[in-house]
Amino acid sequence: MKCVRVLLPLLARDSYGDPLALGQAWGLRRTFSCAQTPNMCLSRGFRTSMRKPTSKPAPTKREEEAQPNPKSLVTFEDPFKRFDQDCRNKATFSHVLNVFCKKDVRRRGHVEFIYAALQKMPEFGVERDLRVYNALLDIFPKEVFVPQNSIQRMFNHYPRQQECGVQVLEQMERYGILPDAETKFLLLQIFGQKSHPFLKYRRMMYWFPKFKNINPYPVPYPLPCDPVDIAKLSLQRISADLDARITVYQMPSVEEKTRITHPYIVGIQSPDQQSLLQKHSPDRPVYVEGPFPLWLKKTCVYYYLLRAELLPPGEKEEEEDIDPERNFYFPMQLDLDLERDLGDDDSFDVNEVEEGPVFAMCMVGSEDQATLAQWIRGLQETNPILGHIPVVFRLESGPLKIQAETEMEETYEEEALQSQKLKQ
Amino acid sequence: MILTFKFLRKAGYSLGCQWTIFCPLARLSFAQCTPRMHSSSYRRPGVLPDNTPPWKNVDFNFKKSIEEVKKHFGLLKKEIVDHWTGPEGRPLIEHLLEQTRVIWEFRSQQDLEQWVVSSDQEIGGKSETYLKLSKNSQTALLYGTLNTSVPHDGETRYSGYCSLRSKMPQGAFNHRKHHDWSSFNALHLRIRGDGRPWMVNLGTEMYFSHQKDDLYNYFMFTRGGPYWQDVKIPFSKFFLSSRGRIQDDQHPAWLDKINTLGFTLGDKADGPFQLEIDFIGVCIDRAHTEEFAYEKYKRNP
Repeated sequence: MKCVRVLLPLLARDSYGDPLALGQAWGLRRTFSCAQTPNMCLSRGFRTSMRKPTSKPAPTKREEEAQPNPKSLVTFEDPFKRFDQDCRNKATFSHVLNVFCKKDVRRRGHVEFIYAALQKMPEFGVERDLRVYNALLDIFPKEVFVPQNSIQRMFNHYPRQQECGVQVLEQMERYGILPDAETKFLLLQIFGQKSHPFLKYRRMMYWFPKFKNINPYPVPYPLPCDPVDIAKLSLQRISADLDARITVYQMPSVEEKTRITHPYIVGIQSPDQQSLLQKHSPDRPVYVEGPFPLWLKKTCVYYYLLRAELLPPGEKEEEEDIDPERNFYFPMQLDLDLERDLGDDDSFDVNEVEEGPVFAMCMVGSEDQATLAQWIRGLQETNPILGHIPVVFRLESGPLKIQAETEMEETYEEEALQSQKLKQ
Repeated sequence: MILTFKFLRKAGYSLGCQWTIFCPLARLSFAQCTPRMHSSSYRRPGVLPDNTPPWKNVDFNFKKSIEEVKKHFGLLKKEIVDHWTGPEGRPLIEHLLEQTRVIWEFRSQQDLEQWVVSSDQEIGGKSETYLKLSKNSQTALLYGTLNTSVPHDGETRYSGYCSLRSKMPQGAFNHRKHHDWSSFNALHLRIRGDGRPWMVNLGTEMYFSHQKDDLYNYFMFTRGGPYWQDVKIPFSKFFLSSRGRIQDDQHPAWLDKINTLGFTLGDKADGPFQLEIDFIGVCIDRAHTEEFAYEKYKRNP
């Protein structure tokens, strides 16, 4: 980019007195091909080229003053913009790269082109494609920027090109792409052993594998497309219990005649949660709360909970004490002090945060109360006690509702307090 | 003559935190007035440097100065008494047998005042971060929105972070104190997140001034869901980085000179986030004998 900036005064001088042209010059800042126009390219060729460049050298100042350039407005076409939004994919992107490579033997303006291509990569959906990055590095002319003697090695040889190479690698790093052997050979061929891009490559190869598998809750890439599969995946993740059983209460379907859509309902419940719900007293209501967000890398899903409030401190159920006289032969309760040594107390001196128990979790396709009531009805089959416990829906306005309301510039918190006894 | 100066110094990186410096001598106060850890050389592109001389920033307030004097002499008295009692104000036997220590817990509003939240609004971004006590007022809730849109200032290339950082411990007359965790080997956190990965940053006291941006980092992954999660991170896993770049020569953190602990979120996913923290402590993990997880020899020669 800086290279273009250097060239800008040239361009401005060319089109001096023409504010429109100047404005266009600024518009060109982020593009690359202003360096390709014949009267602006640097007259110096690459070092290996012994021939004079075929294009005209830059005009001297005197010539310019003598006859002002009639072509003050430079026609220019962005090769990336030739393709519409529909046909922007890997094939068209590599086509643009090919066209650039075949245009000029010396790859004039390749640094600007690579910068522009790096910016366009997310638009073409190739930002996570290693082959495209390799093709991008392949644009650099080979063996031109490798330092040949000690003086060149001592100083920063071809700094702009090295910076550009580092940028390519940095974008790879940003999207989490591990370079491969081809990248290595390309970098060695272009910049040589002791160059900044190759150093960057070595750093990436050192640190990336170290942190590759440290996530204890891995998310598959790419995520499954089916929302039911995503729901199963995320419920298994948040349940924190390997015994938990997933039940699909309803698959997504559309009735042909009535056009009623049935959203999916996927729930999870572990045996521990089931026994907790068995012990719950029918006088106290249980609550359906939600939606709560869960992030799976860049997608956000929402889940609902079936939970109870914490018992007030006076009404805590005392655990039944087994009196020692119940069995005379061996003790029914062991209370051994199994501390390892003096002061080996590994517990933290904090007050426990007490919260109400969670009985079940679910994810649904549509965020309305009817769907959640259907989930409760499905839960009753495995937990018959739920038929006697009042269920209260405490739903906050979900993400879909929020989106609708931001247009109205109103936010309200819906607390649907409807106690309903569900009976079969 | 006792003077109290309040230096409303805009420390760029630290949310413009106000440096209230008390010093019995004006000469000393100027010697101290350069904030070392919390200042940064970062200046937003397009913003002129702040050239106001330091004496213009002095805010003299008689009432406040009396309060400051009271506060600092109270702290001084407490330090002397603590020193008499034992190391860090506790009896020696307790100090020797200590296996775990709770450094921060979040039970009241005063606990939240030891923390600083910041986001990329300092560099012109659009993320928002807030810290408050959660519903049952027993834990801290860090929430907000992450926004990765880059400010159009021509220089900034990446944006989108939110962070929480503890304030530096300070003794009487604002002298610098450090957390001494050298008798522990793991950081223990009890958190509940929403599935986003966070980064834990340890800011340690460094020797040279050019190391002031150095941080020791490691990752903290949250499961999400309604259950609390105990995270134990050994200190040996923390790697050195400076200004967000991993450094080539790694060495273990100096655990006796810990200044700050922070959490950073920057996973490039736009949207709301939340993190509940119950407490932050340090403990000894006897099964963990690793000294440093990364190679300490010189690489990339």
